[in-house]
Amino acid sequence: METNVRMILFKEDQVDQASNAIETLHHHGISDKDISVISGVPFSEKILGRPMSWTRVPQIAIAGAFFGFVIASILNFFVPHLYKLSVGGMPLTPIPTSIVVTFELTMLGLLISTFLGVFIEMLSPSFGPKGYHPKISDGYIGILFECPSNTDEETCFELQDLGAEIVDVEEVKQP
Amino acid sequence: MAADVKPFVGSKAKPHQESEAEELRKEHLMLDPMPRDEMNQMVMEAMTTTTPKFWAWVIGLALAVAVLLFGTWGYMIASGMGVAGIRRPVFWGIFIVTFVFWIGISHAGTFVSAILRVFKAEFRRPFTRAAELMTTFGLAAGALYPLIHLGRVWVFYWMIPYPNARWLWPNFRSALVWDFLAITTYLLSSTIYLFLPLIPDMAMARDRSTGWRHILYKTLSLGWRGTEAEWFRLRKAISIFAIAIIPVMFSVHTIVSWDFAVSMVAGWQSTIFGPYFIIGAILSGVSAVVTILYILRSTMKHMDYFIRKEHFDALGKLILIFSMAWAYFFFNEYILAWYGGDAALKQIITLHAVGPSAWVWYTMLICNVAIPWLFLWSKKVRRTPWLMFIITLLVNVGMYAERYTIIPLTLGHQRSPFDWGIYNPTIVEVSIALGTLCLFILLYLLASRIIPLVPVWEVQEGQMSHTLRKIGKTEIPSVTDLE
Repeated sequence: METNVRMILFKEDQVDQASNAIETLHHHGISDKDISVISGVPFSEKILGRPMSWTRVPQIAIAGAFFGFVIASILNFFVPHLYKLSVGGMPLTPIPTSIVVTFELTMLGLLISTFLGVFIEMLSPSFGPKGYHPKISDGYIGILFECPSNTDEETCFELQDLGAEIVDVEEVKQP
Repeated sequence: MAADVKPFVGSKAKPHQESEAEELRKEHLMLDPMPRDEMNQMVMEAMTTTTPKFWAWVIGLALAVAVLLFGTWGYMIASGMGVAGIRRPVFWGIFIVTFVFWIGISHAGTFVSAILRVFKAEFRRPFTRAAELMTTFGLAAGALYPLIHLGRVWVFYWMIPYPNARWLWPNFRSALVWDFLAITTYLLSSTIYLFLPLIPDMAMARDRSTGWRHILYKTLSLGWRGTEAEWFRLRKAISIFAIAIIPVMFSVHTIVSWDFAVSMVAGWQSTIFGPYFIIGAILSGVSAVVTILYILRSTMKHMDYFIRKEHFDALGKLILIFSMAWAYFFFNEYILAWYGGDAALKQIITLHAVGPSAWVWYTMLICNVAIPWLFLWSKKVRRTPWLMFIITLLVNVGMYAERYTIIPLTLGHQRSPFDWGIYNPTIVEVSIALGTLCLFILLYLLASRIIPLVPVWEVQEGQMSHTLRKIGKTEIPSVTDLE
């Protein structure tokens, strides 16, 4: 079936209307995977009646922390054996001083990998309809959806009744 | 008989209630919402407006950095460390004092942003970025000092743990290597922590700019559209950062304190140096945030809308609390040295109070304790920005004096009286210290015209969650948790 990608906009104070619009789209048989909501401020999924988003950032962060811990352990407990320097009766690999290096490198691994997680996920291909409008950063709530061509007009009229501003297809671009 | 009953439509607001509500709006940014496009416009204008005076400052500061910092440092490298005033018995002078000062300043950015974010302190919203920026540039200025103090700066890479050809590794039992690791961790993580919440604002700037700015913002916004998934992962990442960066912040200054505390030097070997340094760092850092907010408010367009008296008031209370905490740690440290009866320690604390450099010690006490305690109790003072500017400047003078007291004034009078000496900083050291101050101001000035200093999306989010709620006969501010 042929589909059109449409974008509608609601003003920042029309959150209720935006959530009603999503419900209307559901009534028209448009599933959540064919809908993308974009906004200038974060709205939780519960507010708009949308399924929970997913992210792997916490898992990537934990993996990074583990990597940092392993590097720290190598530096603390393996490296001193490569070139042994005995200092005034001090042990070669003392645990108390190793805690400092372990803490710093574990946290460094955690924080850098958190950022890398965001970076990788931002640049990875995403699901759902694509598109953007500069009004989003003016606080508008944008709803992008893929709609079968035969019900396109009817759906748009209904959404307009809810106060939606229908964006011209040519204006919907990638940022 | 049916009674003529009028439906209840709610009581009309009386004129005095309206003026009360108006007052509250004037007082609280969160209760004084503005359409997002206007806020965006204001932030963009603040960022893109430059006057000839601004460029005169930039050129003046750039020259000062070139001459005072890099020129003098170059001279010191060419001539040797002898041109600095550090010599037996005082081997740590202005360089280390200023290093500790900058690391301390850098603490508040994270403190104000991360701790207040974790505890959902709403007043933080408009100035978190200004504070985070201070952290990054404070660290950048501070991180130069280990290099400057090293003397032979070209062998700096010996500190970096990597499998070099000679299999020589840094000594991981050294507090100086911990310092290197901690500062690197903190610098990287605070820079990322600055960048993450900036992404949506970079997208906002991208949509409103042309030319080189557009290219820059487009690159830095990483293709941000504001989808649910993008917001979700951004918030998740900010939450991870806000929680994880707090112990890192504490570790950095604790490790800086260990540079002193793990030694056998009288006056330095102390178990409370870690928290004492942290409290001092937060006191000086929060004060520096107020100083910067005053300058931003007075010099940048539209900043008086975002930075209000309520922010000076709230930060003033924090400064008062930390001044008291600092006084507690100072007294704790002092009384044990005085009561303990160690001859060397007693000599040091006596010299601090009555010796030739006693004015430094009294400056510290007056600026860190007397001034905040005398003035910051007053709500009127806390809500007078120019007074807060002066008080916070003085607090930082006091904190610099504290570091000066701890480092050269303590080192000069150790256990062997035949080895006592007085440290006199040379013009080279003073020049380099002033040079890093100029570098900090220069970086901040330039960044203020490139980075949106107000996190607009956070302000709007806050304004959406705040409202005036009528309870009884009055309206009071109430907050809804939208997260």
